Amino acid sequence: MKKLIEKLVTISSPSGREDAIREAIAEEIKPYVDSMKIDPLGNLVALKKGKSGKKLLFDGHMDEIGVVVTHIDSNGFLRIDSIGGLSPYMLLGSRLIFETGASGVVDLEGETIKELGESIKNLDFDHIFVDIGAIDKSDAERKAPIGTFGTYDSEFIDLGKRLISKSMDDRIACAIMIQVLKELKDPKDDVYFVFAVQEEVGLVGASVAAFDIMPDMAVAVDVTTGPDTPKSLKRMGFKLGEGPTIKIKDRGSISSSRVVSRLKEIAEKKEIPTQYEVLIFGGTDARGYQTTGRGIASGTVSVPCRYVHSPHEMVDYDDVLNAVRLLKALAEEGVE
Amino acid sequence: MKLERLKDLCELPGISGFEEKVSSFIRSIVEPRVDSIWTDTVGNLIAEKKGTGKSSKKLMLLAHTDEVGLMVKKINEDGTLSFTSVGGVDPRVLMGKKVLVGKDFVPGVIGFEAIHTQDPTALLKTPSMGKLRIYLGYSKKEEAQKNHRIGDPVFFDTQYEEIGDYAIAKSFDDRTGCEVLIRILESLEGYRLDFDVYFAWVVQEEVGLRGSGVAAKQIKPDAALVFENTTAGDNPELPDYRWATSLGRGPVLTFAHSGLVLDKRILDTIVDTAKKNSIEFQYKSRIAGGTDAARLARVISGIPSGVISTPSRYIHSPTSVINVNDFLGVVKLASLLVKEGKVLSR
Repeated sequence: MKKLIEKLVTISSPSGREDAIREAIAEEIKPYVDSMKIDPLGNLVALKKGKSGKKLLFDGHMDEIGVVVTHIDSNGFLRIDSIGGLSPYMLLGSRLIFETGASGVVDLEGETIKELGESIKNLDFDHIFVDIGAIDKSDAERKAPIGTFGTYDSEFIDLGKRLISKSMDDRIACAIMIQVLKELKDPKDDVYFVFAVQEEVGLVGASVAAFDIMPDMAVAVDVTTGPDTPKSLKRMGFKLGEGPTIKIKDRGSISSSRVVSRLKEIAEKKEIPTQYEVLIFGGTDARGYQTTGRGIASGTVSVPCRYVHSPHEMVDYDDVLNAVRLLKALAEEGVE
Repeated sequence: MKLERLKDLCELPGISGFEEKVSSFIRSIVEPRVDSIWTDTVGNLIAEKKGTGKSSKKLMLLAHTDEVGLMVKKINEDGTLSFTSVGGVDPRVLMGKKVLVGKDFVPGVIGFEAIHTQDPTALLKTPSMGKLRIYLGYSKKEEAQKNHRIGDPVFFDTQYEEIGDYAIAKSFDDRTGCEVLIRILESLEGYRLDFDVYFAWVVQEEVGLRGSGVAAKQIKPDAALVFENTTAGDNPELPDYRWATSLGRGPVLTFAHSGLVLDKRILDTIVDTAKKNSIEFQYKSRIAGGTDAARLARVISGIPSGVISTPSRYIHSPTSVINVNDFLGVVKLASLLVKEGKVLSR
């Protein structure tokens, strides 16, 4: 499964520019699904048929945080703005890859040590610029015109039990769902797999993906923080490597208790390690499903992840494998 | 006067929730030109121009009727009125401005402390909205209460003017969009398109994109074009890479804004159409700020859309400035897009 993860995380597809990742996912799942469609916003919705007449939906978002070119100066330096929650601090020293193929490095404006210090203290997108190696303005306009989208450009690293890459958020969920599809022989319910667009700019795809489906249960699969680093968030008690988390709440939604108890029941029956998660910030696509139509019983299964929204997000491979087992078991046992 | 009807539209009072005058003015103009027209429960005005039926697709064109303004919060003992804002208003743009209060449009002014009595260190400091008052000439609460009550809408009182290529008014945001829709409709005179076109003048955008969602649910369009008025920010004291847009550089196209990345294929169609027809355009280079497109993407099965705006300096103030040619560029581009219908092809 590591090969699949590597394939997905190395694709650059920020919110609103999901074509590349959608094609890759569609190609992976095609042999394993009964039907597949792309909806008006670009969500990829696949169906694996069951027999119960009930419907279960899994969601993972395809998009990743990114940047967009907003200005090119007379010397060919670019100014950028963020697509989704990308901190300018994370960009200092980072490399970017643009949809045109251009690569760039990020630096800080300023002349003196004092000026540079001020820029760091008040860091925002107005204090940084991107150098794509353009020789002048027109060269830059050819390589990355205004409106060009980009993402972090960083490598996938396999540390054995732990994996590091950009866009584990949320390609790890895409990988988990694809793996479930590959292994799932006989689901009880109809299982819909939604690979959603534009989560990072505000849960766009998930707000509408289930409108025509209205499943009996929706489970968003996403990363959550890894609050087990030095002096990290002491108010949250889950860890990397102790299993995927069953979310109780975050800022975006409170999981339906039906979803939480069903997931826990199945995890205990199948002896899959899980942890409960209360996240004091953040939100997932579960919110979109909860507020669709007359409302859908929704919850989230998360993979703990350190350094979320950085170019180097770290997950634990055992958590990933256990998330696959949990979702597969839910599909086999059904929503009730 | 180059834009007579835009003048009429801008001078009409219409803060969010009090938009009937704007909507009925538009209705009186467009009603003879459309196949059906209705005002829905929340006040959206929706008109339909039927196609030949060759295509089952539906295109929605949208602009919002509301403008930012104020609302009476309290009638004070001294007969002055305290107020809150409706939509995003910077208190600094309010001091010393003329306003119209309530359904009878009673003229008043927003007072402030004269420079002579101000502490020099307080000059140019932002006053809190709570400290500002509207003065209408009453000397005590009882007099004010005869004509006013809590909840009275307060409108900016600005006459539309044109100076060369520039126009000054309140509420270009989004009466320019309202007028774009009317002009598109007029440009369709004698045309029979293959698809149905719906024109929606929607309420309450400024307080949270509230009208557009329900309008879209009645139409169920395949795609939408949102016509907006957007921040210029081309202030000379700022370096040009901090400008959102600038006046005189043509219609503004948006690739992404708050809460949404706009549909790439629709954006590409708009860009291609502008280039083919030699219409100068510019991109909005700040992501901040949103439009009804963010709501449309989140209703029914998701409606992809494009956003085309007229840029405006001093937006959300009683004295906004546009370049007339930018507005006319939007009209030209919009009419071509609707006639060609390529934004509907997926």
